[in-house]
Amino acid sequence: MRTTTPADAVADDAPAPAAAPADTAIRLDALTKTYPGGATPAVTDLDLDIPRGELVALVGPSGCGKTTTLKMINRLVEPSDGTVWLEGTDIRTLPVHELRRGIGYVIQQSGLFPHRKVRDNIATVPQLQRWSRSRIDERVRDLAELLDLDPALLDRYPSALSGGQQQRVGVARALAADPPVLLMDEPYSAVDPIVRARLQDELIALQRRVQKTIVLVTHDIDEAIKLADRIAILNVGGVLEQVGPPEELLRAPASDFAAGFLGDDRGIKRLSLVRVGDASLSRGPVVPPSATADEARAVMAAEGTDWVSVCDGGRLHGWVGADELDGSATVANLRARPFAAVVGPDTTLKAALDVVVTSRTRVAVAVDDEADGGPRYLGILTVDDLAEGITR
Amino acid sequence: MTAPVLAAEPLVRWDWVRDHTDDITAQLWEHLGLTAAAVGMGFAISMVLALAAVRWRWAYEPLAGFCSVLYAIPSLALFGVLVPISFFGLGFRTALAALVSYTLLILLRNIVAGLDGVPAAAREAADGMGYERWRRILRVDLPLATPAIVAGLRIATVTTVGLVTVTALVGEGGFGSLINDGLSRNFPTPIGVGTVLSVALAIALDVRFVVIERLLTPWARARVPSTSGTQADDALVRARARAAGRWSALVGGRP
Repeated sequence: MRTTTPADAVADDAPAPAAAPADTAIRLDALTKTYPGGATPAVTDLDLDIPRGELVALVGPSGCGKTTTLKMINRLVEPSDGTVWLEGTDIRTLPVHELRRGIGYVIQQSGLFPHRKVRDNIATVPQLQRWSRSRIDERVRDLAELLDLDPALLDRYPSALSGGQQQRVGVARALAADPPVLLMDEPYSAVDPIVRARLQDELIALQRRVQKTIVLVTHDIDEAIKLADRIAILNVGGVLEQVGPPEELLRAPASDFAAGFLGDDRGIKRLSLVRVGDASLSRGPVVPPSATADEARAVMAAEGTDWVSVCDGGRLHGWVGADELDGSATVANLRARPFAAVVGPDTTLKAALDVVVTSRTRVAVAVDDEADGGPRYLGILTVDDLAEGITR
Repeated sequence: MTAPVLAAEPLVRWDWVRDHTDDITAQLWEHLGLTAAAVGMGFAISMVLALAAVRWRWAYEPLAGFCSVLYAIPSLALFGVLVPISFFGLGFRTALAALVSYTLLILLRNIVAGLDGVPAAAREAADGMGYERWRRILRVDLPLATPAIVAGLRIATVTTVGLVTVTALVGEGGFGSLINDGLSRNFPTPIGVGTVLSVALAIALDVRFVVIERLLTPWARARVPSTSGTQADDALVRARARAAGRWSALVGGRP
């Protein structure tokens, strides 16, 4: 924190970017916003560093000033006091329309222009920047591919698209001029939960490829935990309660407010931060197709199960039950049945928990579908494995 | 008991119509010209007023109030005021000034309603992506307000076609001149011809605007991508229903 004497306050015009770390893309410096007629500030003396290439989520209840904070970054709202530094530049020194064209902006309900075809919606900023027709066409094609949009949709009007497709077009439009910074204001609040989950997964995959600096506003703490590298929890009046990586917040909430906002199920929520591929798995009962019935029974007895996985050189064929093992020469003679409770390396432990507790055998089988020639067997996940994921 | 003189005449004397086709055609052009000039000038003025009202919100009520007063002035009284002024006099300028003043309220209200109806999300997105204010109004707000604006133009046009018949009193009346002629001579044929053609012109212009709106707003009926005839017909029915809805929503009763 800087200290301000009255003398400093007078000389405050001289821009002094309080020695931002080199990897800081956006620095909010004592940012304050008081709306005319508002008794209390909407945002109060907010300091926040947003590292380059990270997704930072601003979360908090209604009236916490998270959207106001976001809009001060592209000057849709002018701060009453304080400074926004973008790559070390005071944004007030930049022409406002240039600033905005250099920042991607995604809003709730997509905000697409209903009177323009999808293609022209995506091309909005390039058109404002007077790119050539051929360059725009090429960029639109690339973005459609990047966001998995059917090229046939490009010549439709937004009203012909589903909510999820509209939101994807909104993201494509924000990325069109390849801005280093993306602002997203409750981007998924208007779509149904199934579509929302898919769009969130897509954003994670997209961010892995494009590595933008993203500021995301949401009231949904689960969305923040799922998407963000860093979460800033704001209290009413835009007071910063805590900022940090999701697992840090869930492990050690700094205040009662933060703890309350994160919820009573913080342990369970931490499960959503660990993926099956990173968890410790049990070996589980496994036999090769060449195993005899007696060998299979021995494995089951050792593992305490009444079924056994059949794997051939790491490839999972399925499972056979104890009651099927009637004197067959080898397990290969039996028809291995497919597992119902299957998780992949990218499945979160939270999702895996659901699979485990709803499966008859109380275990989930972890397989990697990437490989050719059938799913590769990784192991099994038990309730004990999941408990370890919470506590470690 | 004497029968009314009008009743003695047949309703339409076709030989009169045949002998006066040149005259009727000339009146059609005059009627059309006055209507186009009045609606065109009214539209230009209303657009400026509407943009000012949207920019400076406090100006809207006074502007709308002023237009309401113009709308409420009886046309005869307005002629009485304008004709003695040498710039206006007995003729085209007086007729045009009166007709324009009657379009302003309808057009101003509809343009402002259309601009107010632009989805807030589209406007915010445009601002956030770096549109200058004037460019946003031109490229986003006005195109999205087009249905309401065209609805206003339709009402203004139909109203003006009707009012042109009254401006015959200052010597510029299109079909109104025929009606005047018939009334002064107790001769029903020109009255009937003038009335029927005036109504027909109003309907024809109204239909023309429906076509124009459909051309200007392909996006408004893009919800169902349709190729077959029935679907296209459905879209037309829906567009008409929407237009009818706007009509009743946007026009108050005439004073």
